[in-house]
Amino acid sequence: MQKSTVWQRMTKRTEFYIFLVLILMVIVIQLVSGGQLFEPNQVVTILRAMVVDGLFALGCLMVMVSGGFDMSFPAIAALSYSLATTICLNAGWCTTNAWMGFLLSVVFGAILGMLNGVIIANFALNTMLVTLGTQTFFTGLSMGLFELKEITSTLPKGLRAFGEWSLFEVESSAGLKSSMSGLFLILIAVAIIVSLILNKTMFGRALYAIGGNEVSAERAGYNVKKTKFILYTIVGALAGFTGMIRVCMARQSIPKAMVNKEMTIIPAVILGGASIYGGEGTVFGTMCAISLITVVTNSMLLVGIDTYWQKFFNGLIILIGITISSLQAKRNTR
Amino acid sequence: MSEYLLQMKGIDKSFSGVHALDHVDFAVRPGRVMCLAGENGCGKSTLVKIISGVYTRDEGEVYFEDKLIEHITPAEATRLGIQVIYQDLSIFPNLTVMENLAINSEITANRKLVNKKRWEETAKEALSKIGYDIDLYAKMGTLSVADKQLVAICRALLFNAKLIIMDEPTTALTKKEVDALFRTVRQLKESGIAIMFIGHKIEEIFEISDDVCVMRNGKNVFLGETRGLERKDLIYYMTGREINDDFFVPKNISEKPVLEVDKLSLKNHFDDISFKLHKGEILGITGLLGSGRTELALSLFGLEHPHSGKIIMNGREVKIKSPQQAQSLKIGYVPEDRLTEGLCLAQPIADNIELSSLKRLSKGGLIKKETIYRDAQIWVDKFKIKTDDARKNANTLSGGNQQKIVLSKWLATDLEVLVLNGPTVGVDIGAKQDIHALVHELANEGLAVIIISDDLAEVVVNCSRVLVMKAGRIVGEMEGKDITEENIREIIM
Amino acid sequence: MKDIKKKYGYTFMLLGLAAIVILFFTITKAGAFWKADVWKGIMAQFPEYGIMTLGLMFCFICGKMDMSFMMLADFATVMAVRHIVQNVTPEMDNGAVGGVIIVGILIALGIAVVGAIINAMLVTQLNIPPVMATISMQMVWLGISTAITRGDTVTGLPVLYTEIGHKTFFNWLPLPMILFIVIFLICWFILKYTVYGEKLYMVGSNEKAAKFSGINTTAVVLTSYILCDVLATIGALVMVSTMASAKADYGTSYVTRCILILVLAGVVPNGGMGKIINVLITLITIQIIATGVNLFSNLNTYYASLIWGALLVIVLILSTFMTDEGVISFKKRGK
Repeated sequence: MQKSTVWQRMTKRTEFYIFLVLILMVIVIQLVSGGQLFEPNQVVTILRAMVVDGLFALGCLMVMVSGGFDMSFPAIAALSYSLATTICLNAGWCTTNAWMGFLLSVVFGAILGMLNGVIIANFALNTMLVTLGTQTFFTGLSMGLFELKEITSTLPKGLRAFGEWSLFEVESSAGLKSSMSGLFLILIAVAIIVSLILNKTMFGRALYAIGGNEVSAERAGYNVKKTKFILYTIVGALAGFTGMIRVCMARQSIPKAMVNKEMTIIPAVILGGASIYGGEGTVFGTMCAISLITVVTNSMLLVGIDTYWQKFFNGLIILIGITISSLQAKRNTR
Repeated sequence: MSEYLLQMKGIDKSFSGVHALDHVDFAVRPGRVMCLAGENGCGKSTLVKIISGVYTRDEGEVYFEDKLIEHITPAEATRLGIQVIYQDLSIFPNLTVMENLAINSEITANRKLVNKKRWEETAKEALSKIGYDIDLYAKMGTLSVADKQLVAICRALLFNAKLIIMDEPTTALTKKEVDALFRTVRQLKESGIAIMFIGHKIEEIFEISDDVCVMRNGKNVFLGETRGLERKDLIYYMTGREINDDFFVPKNISEKPVLEVDKLSLKNHFDDISFKLHKGEILGITGLLGSGRTELALSLFGLEHPHSGKIIMNGREVKIKSPQQAQSLKIGYVPEDRLTEGLCLAQPIADNIELSSLKRLSKGGLIKKETIYRDAQIWVDKFKIKTDDARKNANTLSGGNQQKIVLSKWLATDLEVLVLNGPTVGVDIGAKQDIHALVHELANEGLAVIIISDDLAEVVVNCSRVLVMKAGRIVGEMEGKDITEENIREIIM
Repeated sequence: MKDIKKKYGYTFMLLGLAAIVILFFTITKAGAFWKADVWKGIMAQFPEYGIMTLGLMFCFICGKMDMSFMMLADFATVMAVRHIVQNVTPEMDNGAVGGVIIVGILIALGIAVVGAIINAMLVTQLNIPPVMATISMQMVWLGISTAITRGDTVTGLPVLYTEIGHKTFFNWLPLPMILFIVIFLICWFILKYTVYGEKLYMVGSNEKAAKFSGINTTAVVLTSYILCDVLATIGALVMVSTMASAKADYGTSYVTRCILILVLAGVVPNGGMGKIINVLITLITIQIIATGVNLFSNLNTYYASLIWGALLVIVLILSTFMTDEGVISFKKRGK
C-alpha cells in the first residue's frame, strides 16, 4: 500500500492554494504599488483591520465544521455589546479598564448562543433557518424590547482606552506615524485557541465527526446533542466578545452596525476551505482567506483603484475562489 | 456451557400495534457464520436492533455466553463483544483512516484530549488484527467501498468482538470485492468469532454461511444448518411461494435492427463497442463494476458523449446529446439507483409515472392535474402497483412497486428501445419475478430491451443474447443455450 | 373530508395563526385596529415585498436558494433610476417622461434576467451549491452598485414615477396592490396549470431523477431564477417609487423577511413542496403583525421582528412533529 507523504497531503488541500494566492496577491500589489504595501504604517493598518472579521470568522468556522450554518452571530454580537455598554454606561463601570464590559458582553453572548444551541441540539432542523429566526428575534430584542441606543461620544473611557491599546509606533518612509494595535494579539491568541480546540480536543474532533456524518458520530458514542449545545454557547460567547472588541476599536456602540455582517463573513470562511456540508475547514485556511480579503480591500488606493470598488473586488475574489474550489471538487469526484 | 454464543428465545416486539417480531427463536454459535435471510420488512433489522440494544424486546429471553441478559443497551452490547457494521458502515468520510479507526475507542475510554501517537498506535493495532495494510493518512472518503468495509471491520475488532453483525455488506461491492470480503470473514471465523450476515442474495447465502435463519412476516420459518438445504426450499422459505425461473423465449424478433452501435468509444470508459439490437429481443450487457457497462448505457441516453463511433437508429445515424433527444428518438432508460435517480419520492405516484409524458398530456404548455391522474391510473391498474390512490406519494410504496413506477414512466411514453440498468437491485425475489415477467411480455410485444446487470442469474434468465464487457471492451458474445452463468463467469474475470 | 383535512392541514394552521393575530389586535386595540386607514396601510405596504416573496418561492420550490435577489434588484433599480434621472428634463411632457421611465424599467428587468442567468450558470454548469453561489453574487452586485453610486442615494425621480407607489384607486385600492394581485394570479396559474409548474415540483423534489426522465432540468432551474430575480426587481421598482430614491443597499432586510415568510408558509428551500395560497396567508399575517405593532404608541417597529423571529423558530420546532404536510425537518443533502 502506497503511503502519502506530508507534501502530497498538503497540496491536496484548499488552504494550500488560498495561501499561495495570498502570497501572489501580496507580491503583485507590492510591485504595482511601487513598494507601498510593505510600508510599516500600511502593514499595521491591515493587521488592525483583520481583527474583528478574523474573530467572527473563527466562530463561524467552528459552526461550519459541525455542518451548521450560523446567520445569527452578528445579531448576537450587536445585542450583547449594546446591552453591555449601556449597562456599563448607566452603572458608571469601565471608566478605568474594560473588564466588566467584556465580561457582560461574553455572558450575554453565551446566553443567546445557548438559545440557538437548545433549539439546534434538540430538533433536527436546518440550522440556517433556525438562526435566521433567532437573528430576527435578537434584532427585535435589541432595538424593540430594550430600545438600545447608539453610544458614541459618551462611551466609557475604559473601553475607549482598550481600543487604543498600542504595542509600538511605526513610521513610514514619508514620516507618517501609526501605532500597532495590541488587539491583533487577541486575534492570534483566539486563533491558536480555536485551532487547539479543533485539533487537540475530543470536542473538536467531535465537531468534525458530526460534520462528516452525524449518525455515525452518534453511533460512535459521541453525545451529539451536548456537543452542539456547547458549540453554539461557545460561538455565542465568542460573538459577544468580538462585538465588544469592535466597540472598543470603533469607539462607539451602534446596535445596527452588525446588520448583514454574516453575508461577508460566511463567504470568506467558505473561501478558506470550509464546506457548507460540514466536516471541512481549518483555522489556517480561514485566516488566509480573511488576510487575502483584508489585504486586497485595504490596498485598493495603493494600486490606484477607487475605494468605492472595495466591495466589488471583495465579492469578486470570493466568487472566483468558490468557483475554482467547486470545479476542483467536481474534478476530484470524477 | 452450551454450544451457543448467543441464544434468543420467544422474542416478541410490536410497534404501535404492528407485530414486528412474533416469538422468534434465534441462536448463533461461535466460529460460525450465521446468515439471517428474508425479504425486506420481514423483521430482520428489528431483530438486529434488539441484539445491539437499540430496541428493547417486549417479551422473550436473551442469553449471551449462557448468561441471561435482562436489559441490553448499546453500551452493554459493546461491552459484551457485540459489534454491528451497518450498511452505511458508520464512517466519517472527511476524517483520515487513522481517526476513523481510533475514534470509537477514544470516546469509549472517555478521553478529552487528542494524542496523535496513541491514535496511530490504536489504528495500527486495529489493522494488524486482520493483517490489512492501508495508508493511515488517506481520507476515508477517497477509499473504495471494499476498503471502507475492511476499515469498519478492523474498528469493530478493537472492541474484542465476539459477535460481528454485518448488515447487507455486499450490496455495493463487485464480485471480486465480495470474494475478498468473504476471505476476511472466513479468517475471522477461524479465530473463533461468530459472524452474523444479513442479506437476501441466495448465492451468497450458500457460499458463506454455515447456518441460516430465514424470517418471513416477523416469524422465523427456518433455523438450521446451510448444508443440506436446497436452493428451492430456501427461496420458498423466504418468499412463501414457489418461484420458477421462466426463461425468456423471444417470439418475434424483427429482421432489421432498430438500434446499431458502431465502433463507439468513450475515453477512459469503453472502446470500440459495436452491436445490433432488434425489436423483440432482450440483449444483456454484463461486466464487472467499472467495465464501462454503465457509461455505455448513459451514452445511449445522452448523458455521456462518446468521442468517436456511430449510433444508428432505424438505419439513420443519430447524435444523442441529451436525455430529451434520446427520448425523442424513443429510447428510454431505467437508472441503476432507483431512489436517487429514478424517483421523486416526495411527489405523488401519478406525477412520477407521467414525468416523461408531460409533452403528450399537455396542450400549449398547459396541463391539468386530472389528466395526469387519469392517465396514470391506467398504468397503476396495468402493472398492479399496490396503492389505493395514485395521488399518494411514491415513498409510501415498497421497493418492487417503486421500480414498477420507474418502468411505467417509460412505458407511458412511445418507446422503441428500453435500457434497463440493474432493474432489480434491492428488489425482493417475489417482486423481481413480476418485473422479469413484465419485461418478457414487453419484448414479445415488440420492444427492444437492453438489460445491463452484474447479477448473472438475472442475465441468464432474461436475455436472448448476451454481451460481456471487460475493461471497456466487448470480450464475448453468446446466444440462446450458450448463455450460462459458468460461461459468462469464465470470460468476465 | 379526511382528504381535505390532510391536504389543507397546513393552510388551516396558518389561517388559525392569522385568526389569533387578528383576534389579539381586536381585543387590545379594537378601536384603532378596525379602521379603514389601518387596512389601507396594510394593503399599501406588503405588495412590494410580497412580489419579491412570490419570486423567491419559485427558487425554493425548485430546491434552490437565492441570497442575491435583493442586491441584484437594488443594482437593477439603481441603474433604472439613474437612467430616468439623467434623461428626464423639466421641459418634457408626460408622454416623453413615460417613455424614459419605460426604458428605465426595461433596463432594470434586463439586468435582472442577466443576473438570473449568471446565478443559474453558477449553479447548473459549475455545480456550485446555490447558497454559496448566490451569497457571493450578492457581494458582487452590492459592490458594483456601491461603486457606481459612490455609496450615495440616487434621487430626483419624476412625479410620474413616484406616483406608481402612491396612486390609489377608489380611495382604497393602491396601485401596487393591483400589481400584486395580478402577479399573484399569474404565479398561481403557472404553478397549477403549466407544464413548467409540474416540472418545477418534480425537479425540486429530485433533480437527478427528473434529468433521468428526460426533463431539461437546466431550463427549469434557469426559468426559476429568472422568475425569482425579475419579480424581485419588480418589487424593488415599486419600493423605489414609494421611497422616491434608489440606493445600493435598500431593502437588505427584505432578504431575511422573504425567506422567513416562505419558511413559515411551508415552502422550504430543499424543494418540491409548498402552496402559493399558504404564502399569501402568511404574507398578510406578517404585515398585520407589523401594522398592528405600530398601533401601540409605546412599541417601536422592531417589535415586529421580535414576533416574526419567535414565530419562525416556533413554527420550525412545531414542524418537526408534523410528517406529511407543511414544513418538514430536513437535513443536508447532496453529500
